[in-house]
Amino acid sequence: MSQSSAGRALELISRPGLTITESAGDYDSLVKSLQQEISPRGFIEHMYVADMSAIVWESLRLRRCAAAIINMAFRAALKNLLVQFWKNPDEPAPYQESEVLAFEWFTDPNAKQRVAEILNKFHLDETAIEAEAIRSVAADLELLDRMLMSLEARRNRALRSIADYRASFAEKVQQVSDRIINAEPLLRIRQPAGGASA
Amino acid sequence: MATERQIAANRRNAGKSAGPRSRAGKRRARSNAYRHGLTTAIMPGATLARQVEKLARKIAGNARDEIVLELARDAAYAEIELARVRRVKVALIERAAALAALGTPRLFNSAQEAIRFLNSVVQGKTPAMPNPVDPSATMPTEEVERTAEAIRRALPELVKLDRYESRAAARRDKAVRQIIKSRISKKINL
Repeated sequence: MSQSSAGRALELISRPGLTITESAGDYDSLVKSLQQEISPRGFIEHMYVADMSAIVWESLRLRRCAAAIINMAFRAALKNLLVQFWKNPDEPAPYQESEVLAFEWFTDPNAKQRVAEILNKFHLDETAIEAEAIRSVAADLELLDRMLMSLEARRNRALRSIADYRASFAEKVQQVSDRIINAEPLLRIRQPAGGASA
Repeated sequence: MATERQIAANRRNAGKSAGPRSRAGKRRARSNAYRHGLTTAIMPGATLARQVEKLARKIAGNARDEIVLELARDAAYAEIELARVRRVKVALIERAAALAALGTPRLFNSAQEAIRFLNSVVQGKTPAMPNPVDPSATMPTEEVERTAEAIRRALPELVKLDRYESRAAARRDKAVRQIIKSRISKKINL
């Protein structure tokens, strides 16, 4: 079966939808590189490669999402830390000031310096912000991680399925050839016997 | 509310029923066990059957053996289900990105807020009804972040679909393994 005819048949069912931020060209490149790497033969192998492409694509999507979720949680995380570390015990919590400083931290070097000084008083650095950001979205990250693990397991199963398919095909060829080879002496015995009696 | 006598009479009458007779009634009864809808066919039966058959012929290759074809149909059906779940996943993400939520807008920001509201109702006060929480207010405007936030908001549904997808993949793999087994045993017995 040619790659293009298998591709056309699979396109009807296996091409996953893409979100608005994803590129169809990037997806096609991924499929092409996997096809070059695995060199699928026959429709079943093409089907598994298409499956793997969809799985890898979704894994990439979820990884990007995990990184973006952490990034988006940075500002709120920094604000939480500043509220905790900035306040004096006898003063009300500086929610407003913390919010402003957390906002400016992304663009203003002076604000960055100020935050570093506040954190430094408690022997902390910017890693504390990342830790707080991750802590605040840990429940979502756990769900994403569970989905990623499930995708990884399915990708590995798809790879194993291709390997099993090839192995069983090789085994099939070997078993058939073994039968032919084993049958050969019987044919030889019969032929001289027939010839001798004639 | 129905009385116990009425409920008992309803049960008796339902026991005598032979099920829906009209075409509309049968159509309604078809969705009685509806849960998430993914196990029911969204395509018209004939279109789905044609697609399954077309794919099954490709999977079965040159085999004309009816057992192999039937296994190939199982694999094809599972493969079509897989494609469908993938499309549904993307559609949910897109919907969450467009509407900022998958469900109806919440009335309260937190459980505590809801409890406070209910407590004041119990105490005989007449608190003002809160405005529904606008989920789009906290949605990022930049596309990449918006998609990530949409995925985050759709995560509970995506996890459920993921389990469904895994089961469909397992069914397809099982059918393919049986096709291979069947081909091997056929070749050996030649």
